[in-house]
Amino acid sequence: MGRREVISYIGGKLLAALGTLLLVTLFSFLLMRLSPIDPAEAYVKRNSAMVTQEQIDAAREKLGLDQPLHRQYLRWLGKAVRLDWGTSLATGRSVAVELKNTLPTTLRVVTISAVITMGGVLLFGCLGAMSASGWLAKLLRLCAILGVSVPAFYLATAFLDFFAMKIGAISVVSNVGAGRYVPPALCLCVSGICFYGQMLADSLRDQRTQDHCVYAQCRGLGESRILLFHALPHALIDLMPSFAQMLGMSLANAAIVERVFSLSGLGYLMIDSVLARDAPVIHAVVLVLAGALVLLDAAAEVAQKLLRQKW
Amino acid sequence: MQRMKQRLELWLPVAVLAFFTFGFLVAPHDPEQVDAVRRFLPCSAEYPLGTDHLGRCVFSRLLYGGRTTLGIILLGSALIAAVGIALGLPIGSSRGKGKLALESLINAVTAVPPIAYLLIFISVMGNGVSTMLIAIVLSNFLRVVKLVKTRTEVELGKAYVLSAITSGAGKVHILFVDIVPNLLWDVLHYLLLSAADMVLTMVSFSFIGLGLGEDVIDWGVMVADLHRFIIIHPGLASYPVAAIVLCALAFHILGRRLEKVVRA
Repeated sequence: MGRREVISYIGGKLLAALGTLLLVTLFSFLLMRLSPIDPAEAYVKRNSAMVTQEQIDAAREKLGLDQPLHRQYLRWLGKAVRLDWGTSLATGRSVAVELKNTLPTTLRVVTISAVITMGGVLLFGCLGAMSASGWLAKLLRLCAILGVSVPAFYLATAFLDFFAMKIGAISVVSNVGAGRYVPPALCLCVSGICFYGQMLADSLRDQRTQDHCVYAQCRGLGESRILLFHALPHALIDLMPSFAQMLGMSLANAAIVERVFSLSGLGYLMIDSVLARDAPVIHAVVLVLAGALVLLDAAAEVAQKLLRQKW
Repeated sequence: MQRMKQRLELWLPVAVLAFFTFGFLVAPHDPEQVDAVRRFLPCSAEYPLGTDHLGRCVFSRLLYGGRTTLGIILLGSALIAAVGIALGLPIGSSRGKGKLALESLINAVTAVPPIAYLLIFISVMGNGVSTMLIAIVLSNFLRVVKLVKTRTEVELGKAYVLSAITSGAGKVHILFVDIVPNLLWDVLHYLLLSAADMVLTMVSFSFIGLGLGEDVIDWGVMVADLHRFIIIHPGLASYPVAAIVLCALAFHILGRRLEKVVRA
């Protein structure tokens, strides 16, 4: 594949990602229309004690809600492209500022959790593949299936209970710089490690029976060397797209853990905006989440394709 | 011995799920019955798991919570399967220009995982049982459509379809009588795995207050409620958590078991 083909392939992927984003945001707009609560009314109720029909009508005009839906959507889209996402109906601050305040927290949590997940998946997968049978394999299988069945919010509350009550260390843990992001990240990464660790182990076992690994065995290489240098790269490349999807999903899942740990991240913003029916914030959060998911997905597919050619 | 184990792997999860789905029929008490005198009773014959901060029977509430959570999941899965198969079959068997457009549309929409859609639906439409049901169906059915479409395309090239055609079977007959039985297991496999995720997601949402509404009993709300009393009654919150884990585990084990059938 020449350079030109690579560029056109990446371009195609990006175009598809853009199309998905348009669809998803259109979706959230259409759904908002179906919602039983009138945003103009909610806006007035939030900002003044007395609610009159004139005020609601004025708010509707001010927010552009009297326009037809496609006009509203295009207007929002035009502004969104210029990073102008309107004003939050609940707090009166601009949505961009709200995002700027919350997004870094979530990104930190998700990044730390992603790093831990990667290490855990590698360890879990290699151990699982090396111990095809025996007690270790059974234990790992048990851990894997238990780990994906325990809800993250329970891990988070249990963590808090344990440290707050038994050790009394939570005030220390929660306030020291980056340290406060580690506990939520730990709670967030458990299910990922278990699920993808199991997947990596399966994939490694699968790779081990492929021709290139058998050839390496015939060359007289040791078992662990075959596993690490011949089976692992292929297995990791296979795993890339689903891992990218998991990263995107942990952005959404972080909402729940953040809530338990009272970290004001994207998830906190989202839940507050849902409870307050804050349409501009909801649309922006949906856009950010979907954007991250779609871009990660596209990046993983491109990387997978390019790496496959090298190997 | 091996067969015993296999049977156990199948029937134990089914029994657990059935127990939590239909258990409310044999609940010993009214789950809403408040009794200020009987707060925080220990386990007894009358109250198998004791009572909570309002004197309500925890066991009965657990069973009614199961009806809510698993009822939504099972009903939703049935709807997803029906819609997915009904739409996937014709798309898989059709040819023409429209198909490509439809396929790229489906690919675009399914690029985002169901949890994200669930989040969008709940954020936009507020909470409630019917919203949750609609959200679960809408956020999953396109994946099943895609699955059925792909499987139909594979099945259409197989010999038994050819023999059905030569023996004069109509298109509808081939699709719904000959092909559907062959992809039911795949659909079921997908549904079981997504059901485990959905249980956890739904419970998590209701735990943080994006739940199913005020007067609905469900496990997430129970955990949140009982967790406030963790210092005085540390064991109480672990009952709903155990129920959640058991159900997710049951779906996972069943799904894993079906995997062997699907792959073979």
